[in-house]
Amino acid sequence: MKISVVSQNFHRSVNVWSVGFLKYQTAYHIQQYLANLQSQRLNKEKTLDGTIIIVEHSPVYTTGIRTQGYSESEERRLKTLGAEFYRTNRGGLITFHGPGQLVVYPILDLKSFNKSMKWYICKLEKTVIEVCKSFGVEAERSSDTGVWVKDNKICAIGVHGSRYITTHGIALNINNDLSWFSHIVPCGIPDKGVTTLSQELRKPLTITDVIYPFLQSFSHEFECDMKMLSHEVRKDVVNHLKKENLTSDITEAQLLRNNDLKLK
Amino acid sequence: MAVCVNVFHKCLRLPSTLLKLRPVVHKLNATQITRTFCSTNALAARKYTEQHEWIDVQGKIGTVGVTDYAQGALGDVVFAQLPEPDSELNQMDDCGALESVKAASELYSPVSGTVVEKNKDVEETPALINQSPYEQGWLFKIQLSKPEELDALLDEAGYENHLKNTGH
Repeated sequence: MKISVVSQNFHRSVNVWSVGFLKYQTAYHIQQYLANLQSQRLNKEKTLDGTIIIVEHSPVYTTGIRTQGYSESEERRLKTLGAEFYRTNRGGLITFHGPGQLVVYPILDLKSFNKSMKWYICKLEKTVIEVCKSFGVEAERSSDTGVWVKDNKICAIGVHGSRYITTHGIALNINNDLSWFSHIVPCGIPDKGVTTLSQELRKPLTITDVIYPFLQSFSHEFECDMKMLSHEVRKDVVNHLKKENLTSDITEAQLLRNNDLKLK
Repeated sequence: MAVCVNVFHKCLRLPSTLLKLRPVVHKLNATQITRTFCSTNALAARKYTEQHEWIDVQGKIGTVGVTDYAQGALGDVVFAQLPEPDSELNQMDDCGALESVKAASELYSPVSGTVVEKNKDVEETPALINQSPYEQGWLFKIQLSKPEELDALLDEAGYENHLKNTGH
């Protein structure tokens, strides 16, 4: 898949890795590996100021650190629907990820940007708002974190920060099946709904349509250039996944395939 | 006890809640009074980490919290995940997290030791961390196993410098 990104010679650069369709747990291990690599700051040419992971998940419900409100029976109930269930270390309450939803995990070193979680979240929200605007959808922030089209959430946000290295990120609804959300109170907000870009535009959009506009907006909001994550680092990640028995030959090929990244 | 001028100057850099005491400080120099927030001993005992935790040691027990800078950078804290009493921690172990604006930020223990108490008020009302980061917003108390570790931490001037030098 070709990704062309405008390079504006910002003094910061991030890697981009579009991993395709992956299970939540596999993507989580990739996040952790890259976050550890980033925190070591040993090889800045490889890690740059961060890596953006772009992924699409099979159906999964996840909770954040405020997980006590979701009992084991609740977990079992959601699993019987055919989804996985994970309790994570991010902020935010329960949400759903699934096919047709653009999930992005920026593994950033905030020391290169701005060392404030409040700032980071705001920039993520602005990035998504800009993306929606580019498609003609008026989205906005609210007192509840996330990006909203009136009373419907179009993008959920939940992140984790450790020594200024960020993990987890955002989930922007493109053309995913919203009925999965009817089984939970999304993000713990009972009187609001959810929506997708396709629903707002009344025309089908896919993740592929949105990746490039997303990267453009991110580059603009975070003032950073982008380049494709090197084959060397991707190979290291794949080897790490192999040791954890988290990859198959198919997944390995998927993770190592070359996505053309052209800098204009 | 009277409050000396040096301490008064230190008070100027303390959070706004404590700055309200400024008019009181002038009077303290003329009157005998019990210890206040601006007492020299309390400030001398407080040490800081580069990750914006503070620790205030009395005897063998250290009280730990996050600084005013940290609570500002986090935003409104909605959840505090604190270490359980009796858990053993090493210096700089991640020992909990604070959640704000859907972001969970890790907490690090400034020293090694055994947790003796966590602040249940803060678990109940996380906003105390924003409102009173050095007083009611304390997070946990730890019995130090290696008091010499305090030497590696920053004093107040060192922490102020750290904030300036690292572009905060």
